[in-house]
This record gives sequence, structure tokens and C-alpha cells, in this order.
Amino acid sequence: METFRTRLLEFLFPPGTDSWLAILRVGLGLEVALYSFSLRNDWAYLLSGTLRRVAEALLSLESPFIPRLGWAISLGAHVGLHEATVLLVAWICLLLAGCGLVIGFACRLSAILAWFFHLCAAKSGGFVSYGMDNFTTIGLFYLMLSPLPDRFSLDWRLRDLRPKHPELLGFWRRVLQLHLCVIYFFSGLTKCLGSGWWNGSSVWRALIRPPFDIIDPEILVRWNYVFPIAGIFICLLEITYPFFIWNSQTRKIWLICICAMHVGIGFTMGMYLFAFVMIVLNLAAFGPGLIRMERCTTSVQPQKAVS
Amino acid sequence: MAEGPTILPNFFKDFSTKAEPIVSTALGQKLPTSNPVREALATYVQLAGIESGYGYFAPNVPGGYRLVFELRYPDGRVEHELPSVRSEAAALRIAGLLENIGRTPFDAMREILLKTLAQSVWRQHPDVKSVRAILGSVRLPSIHEFEQGQRESYEFLYAYDFSPDNKPPKAHGR
Repeated sequence: METFRTRLLEFLFPPGTDSWLAILRVGLGLEVALYSFSLRNDWAYLLSGTLRRVAEALLSLESPFIPRLGWAISLGAHVGLHEATVLLVAWICLLLAGCGLVIGFACRLSAILAWFFHLCAAKSGGFVSYGMDNFTTIGLFYLMLSPLPDRFSLDWRLRDLRPKHPELLGFWRRVLQLHLCVIYFFSGLTKCLGSGWWNGSSVWRALIRPPFDIIDPEILVRWNYVFPIAGIFICLLEITYPFFIWNSQTRKIWLICICAMHVGIGFTMGMYLFAFVMIVLNLAAFGPGLIRMERCTTSVQPQKAVS
Repeated sequence: MAEGPTILPNFFKDFSTKAEPIVSTALGQKLPTSNPVREALATYVQLAGIESGYGYFAPNVPGGYRLVFELRYPDGRVEHELPSVRSEAAALRIAGLLENIGRTPFDAMREILLKTLAQSVWRQHPDVKSVRAILGSVRLPSIHEFEQGQRESYEFLYAYDFSPDNKPPKAHGR
């Protein structure tokens, strides 16, 4: 029992550097900045008026404590600020928080603000949210709780700030790793249950379905023999992710394949932000240590041979 | 599995149908909406971004929905317009909105959401007499059908007439 407890603690609190946190911080900072920038012209249209009020009313049925833009808009109304002005302020705060994360300035505050304002926008725009918003919230939630700042941030280098609980670095990375395993396993499992992923029709439908139809179907149809292979490959890659991503021998292959899959989704379906956030989460969770591990392996090999 | 077509045998469907209430109970979804435990659980899952599943485009890829506005001018002219946004990022979100409109089982909700979109069209065309919002589901051709010359087609679902006076719209269903 004691051995099990020790092993569990070793698993949950592994030693490690803060490289993963730097990847997560910079990546999510870029994601938030790009998200804000990409919606700059449609921000007010998507998040104002009846659309927002209906989404927030439905949210209130679940819980009145879930953050939403309506809070800030109500506050603004008390001091005579129009809805559009408050939305603009929220947009600026989100963009600044994203930039703050990229450079590592006021890391904790930037992470909290980015999480809060992105969550508000995602919940108030519940009818226009999609998977990318969920994964950004997940990433920002873990980033906000992780021991910031990391050694690559401005806070560390210029302001000489240090994390209060560096022993939790490994723990939060482990949580992110486990969460990704759950995500891919169930994503793969649910795909496997549909016949379309086995015969390739789901890949075809995903690529020709508006608004993801950025490649002309006339071109796609010439590659029809690839779709069943791609469908089966995606199913197997996702469902086996939790089993092969932990093994040092197969981690690199699975990480490259999963990132390549997301690059493919980004370019063939126009879901650039979705692809980017998934790549950031994967690289942060399983990227650091891969190259160093290779160096260790190569340095250990001759000794093994000698012994 | 309990709802949709899967490759699994009926046993799994029966099992899923039975398992669903158990999972719902564990997540507090069977409790009254004002129950503090339910509220706390709902708040946590929303804050952490884990309120939805991860079965994107699974088990099968749905066809999607299409919305067309029919703008009727006082002089009898009729124009058609699609919901438009200024960026590709926002276009992805509008597609999500149409999914929500198409899938909701609540007529009142569908009407409110369509009216919101119609109002934005109205602002761009203030001289329009009435706007008809026509929602259809998209039927995607299979690879074989596409090779035979078939292209995506639409099946009419609902139409709502909106006029500038705030009278309730006339709804037409299939």
C-alpha cells in the first residue's frame, strides 16, 4: 500500500523544468491575441444584444456564478457606459492579456485576465462558441493555476520574480497530460462508433461541409482513395494516444502525428485557431524533454555496450 | 450511443440508455436547478472548460444548416441575402449558431435567434418592408454521388416572416 502511495505521488509530482509552462504561456498568449484580433470587426455583432442576453439567460439556469460579459455591461450601465463601449474595453483587456502572456509580463495577472475575459466571451457568446473555445478555456485554466512565472518570462528576467510553489510544476503538467489523454481517447472512441470514419465518408463530409469547404471538392474527389485511410488513421491515432504518448519510444511519433493531424485540420478546414491551441496543448504537455531524452539515450548507449 | 447511429450492436444502445441517468445523477443534473451542489458542479465545469464532450464530428459528420433571408421591398422587389460577417473566424461561429438554431427543439428559441439575425439584416437595409428567414438543412453528397454529378442540396425546414412593427412573425414549418 505504501509502495502504491509512493508511486502515485511520484507519478503525480514528477520533477521537471518549467519549459512546458513557457510553451503553454507563450502559445496560449498567442492564441488569445490571435483570437481577439481575428474577431476585431465582428466582436460587437457576435456578443451584443439579444444573442448575448439569451445565452446568458440560459447560463443563469445552470448557475448564476458563471462569468459573463453581462456583468461588466450591467456595471458599465451604472456609470453611463454603452454596451458597445464595455465590449470594446473587454476586447482590449483580452488582447492586452494575450500580449502580456506572450512576453511574460505580469504573468499571473495576465493569465487570470485572459482566462476571465475569454471565458466571459465564450459563455456570453454561447451560441457562437465552438471546440476551440473549450480548449482555450482548459489551457488558460491550467495556466492560471500553474506556478508562474517561468524562467523565460520578463517577470523572471527583469523583475526577478520567482514562483511560490515550484514543486507544483510537475503536478500541473501531469494534469494537462492526463486531460489530453482523456480528450483524445474519447474523441477517438466516439469516432470509432460511426461507420463514416471507417469508410472515409466522414473525412469527405468534414472537408466539403460549409464553412469548412475551403478546398474545392472537385480537387478533393481525385484523392478519394485517401479518405478511408485518413479516417482509420485519425481514429487509431486518437484512441491509442493515451497508450503510446507515455512510452518514451513512441512518444515522438505520436506527438508528431497528432500535431500533423491538427496542422492538416487547420489548413484543409480553415480552423487555424483550433489547430493552433491543440498543438500548443500537446507541445506543452509532451514536448519538453523529447530532445534531451534523445541526447541521454545516445550518451547512455556506449556505456551499456561497454558493460 | 443512446441517441445516434453507431456501428455497435443494440446491446450498447440499451446499456447507454440505462447508463445515461446514472451519469446525469452523478453530475448533479437530476437535482433541482437551484440546488447548491448542482450549481457548484455546473460552475466548476464551466470555469474549467469541461462542460462538453470531446466527440467532435463523431460518431458521424452532420450536414449542417443554411439560412437565407428574403428581403421584400415596398416596390415589390425581392432580394436574397445570406448572413454575413467580416472575417473567416466569425463565419465559423455563425455556422455554429445555425447549428444551434437548426437543432433546438424549442420553437420560441429558434424564432428569437432568427429574429436577432434578421434585425442585423434590417439595419443594413432599412427600406425593406419585410424579411423572411428561411432555414434549411444541408444534404451533402457522398463521394459516389458527387462523381455522378450531384452537389449539395437543401431541405426546407422553417420560414419566419418578420416585419418592422413588432408583431409576432408568421412561422411556416415543413
